[in-house]
Amino acid sequence: MRFIPESLGGRLLLGASAFILMALLITGVVMDFAIRRFIQGQVDGRLDGQILSVADALRVNSDGTIRLERIVDGPPFERPLSGWYWEVLTPSPALGSTSLRSESFALAQQVTEDHPKPVTVDGTGPRDEQLRVRVQRFYLGSRPVTIAASAPLHALAGPLHEALTPLIVTLVLLAATLIGGVFLQVRLGLRPLARLRGELAQVRSGKAERVMGAQPIEVRPLVTELNNLLDQNAVNLERARRHVANLAHGLKTPLATLALALEEPSHDREKKLLPLVNLMDRRIRHHLTRARAAAQGGGERARSLLSPRIADHIAAFTKLYADKQLEFVVDVHADAAVACEAQDLDEMLGNLLDNACKWGRQKVRIKAENLEQSIEISIEDDGPGLSAGQVADVMQRGQRVDESAPGYGFGLPIASELAELYGGSLSLGVATIRGLKVILRLPVAR
Amino acid sequence: MRILLVEDDPELADAVVRALRTENFVVDLATNGEDGQHFGDTEPYDAAVLDLGLPKVSGVAVLKAWRAAGRGLPVLILTARDGWSDKVEGFKAGADDYLVKPFRMEELVMRLRALIRRAAGHASPQIVCGPLTFDAQLGSFTLDGMPLRLTALEWRVLSCLSLRAEHVVSRTDLFQRVYDGETEVESNSVEVIIARLRRKIGHQLIETSRGRGYRLTAGST
Repeated sequence: MRFIPESLGGRLLLGASAFILMALLITGVVMDFAIRRFIQGQVDGRLDGQILSVADALRVNSDGTIRLERIVDGPPFERPLSGWYWEVLTPSPALGSTSLRSESFALAQQVTEDHPKPVTVDGTGPRDEQLRVRVQRFYLGSRPVTIAASAPLHALAGPLHEALTPLIVTLVLLAATLIGGVFLQVRLGLRPLARLRGELAQVRSGKAERVMGAQPIEVRPLVTELNNLLDQNAVNLERARRHVANLAHGLKTPLATLALALEEPSHDREKKLLPLVNLMDRRIRHHLTRARAAAQGGGERARSLLSPRIADHIAAFTKLYADKQLEFVVDVHADAAVACEAQDLDEMLGNLLDNACKWGRQKVRIKAENLEQSIEISIEDDGPGLSAGQVADVMQRGQRVDESAPGYGFGLPIASELAELYGGSLSLGVATIRGLKVILRLPVAR
Repeated sequence: MRILLVEDDPELADAVVRALRTENFVVDLATNGEDGQHFGDTEPYDAAVLDLGLPKVSGVAVLKAWRAAGRGLPVLILTARDGWSDKVEGFKAGADDYLVKPFRMEELVMRLRALIRRAAGHASPQIVCGPLTFDAQLGSFTLDGMPLRLTALEWRVLSCLSLRAEHVVSRTDLFQRVYDGETEVESNSVEVIIARLRRKIGHQLIETSRGRGYRLTAGST
């Protein structure tokens, strides 16, 4: 089985080639047989004719011997030692063709029976040449007369060779053409599969939602099934996400009740239970965020306008941090759009702006710059900023964000994780207004 | 300070109501969106605490209906939905603050006090009226720098007058913000409390505006 190639094209090519070669081989063998029969028939006919004309010219002398009444040697029977011979075998003394020059040829086997039709016998000529011999017995009156006529074997081989050479060349050319044709057909025939693979890859990378495009009739049911599978997958994913969200939200209300109960000192004397409730809450929140984000494969389908989202966020943060009376400075082009789901963009902006508002003193600056492939959103505050060591610490916490304590920079690893899911990045620097500058780089929406 | 709590989970609602009452708030509870919206439409509240996932009418719908009807009471959304999209949507619908479950009671109380203070037009937590200072953030009163001890009813009346210092507060308004709907009270009870307060902080600080109500004033006018 290891001779069967893995590729469909290879299999088709190998199978078709095998059948083409077999058919051509059989054709060759049959043709060879037919041509051989034809040439033998021609030679035999000629020899039989010669035997008949010899028999026709034989006369019985008065002494009982036989003679030829007339000359019967036409070409090539008159050419000496040409292999084309005839001989009257019985009765002796023998008569023979001019070409025999009074010699005789030997027969591989003795012919004794009556032969109303000529029989074929192998023979050897005076020069040891291989002969094809036809033998027939007549009766001259009551006298039996056996006449043999021969042709050299090369007289058969020559025309056979002549006939077979072009035939073999033709068959080889035919085989090459057919196999070449099969090869092209397989390549062309399998092209829709390659196209289908390409379209599926697009779906996987998030550039397309379904397999589209014109497909051959044979491939259409496959495409339909694939699309149904994709749709089913999306439905299941959505259902799973909803379940996760419902589970998380369903846990939070009793968790809130539990937390309120534990706040009373009589319920949690050692102050160990409330931190556990908080840890549970953080883990739920972390995995909920992850489930939400991981469900969105690629981002190229999604498109979110930055400017209105940022405006909504600022409206929210103005109320959330009402007492600080922060000044928001926004420099975002109205058309700037990122290739992210709105929910995820909200999550990133929300976490980063929350940090900026928490640590900023008077001012938060938001700027979006359109680079070629991405949009760079920088969020600056005029707070205390972070030292190099703190930056490393904050970003490292992202690796085990569900374990980390809330507080400074808790939102940064979440935003960073989300940005990376979209092929973006998050980096930290020093703001022009003294505090922390967070640079969020996201793919631009086309 | 009268609060409307709209929360469908009975356990949590019970815990929050009890905790808020210990902080001297008057609390009404609605366990579904329909009742919540109706209460908010008909009763004078200083603030509302609104859950989002409510039976009958969703929290956001309740909030939008209030805002569409011109009800400007400060609203704090208290929900399990912690996504920023939900928060932003909540604020867009007209919320003033947003607290995610689970939460600390202290945090809820602080935020409610801040909302009520800001809604009354005070940027600073310290509301000063002559010798009387009300810390709207901590909920404590001092008179000439000394802590003032008050009963729950006295605190409710005085905090209400303090938030509207130099403005006349009607008797009905005071009455509605001091008692919840369930309590049986004498019709002259507000006068009784005012009289007790005057004994504690001095008669000149609370002025009676005949036929209209009461005014907390530093006294110069």
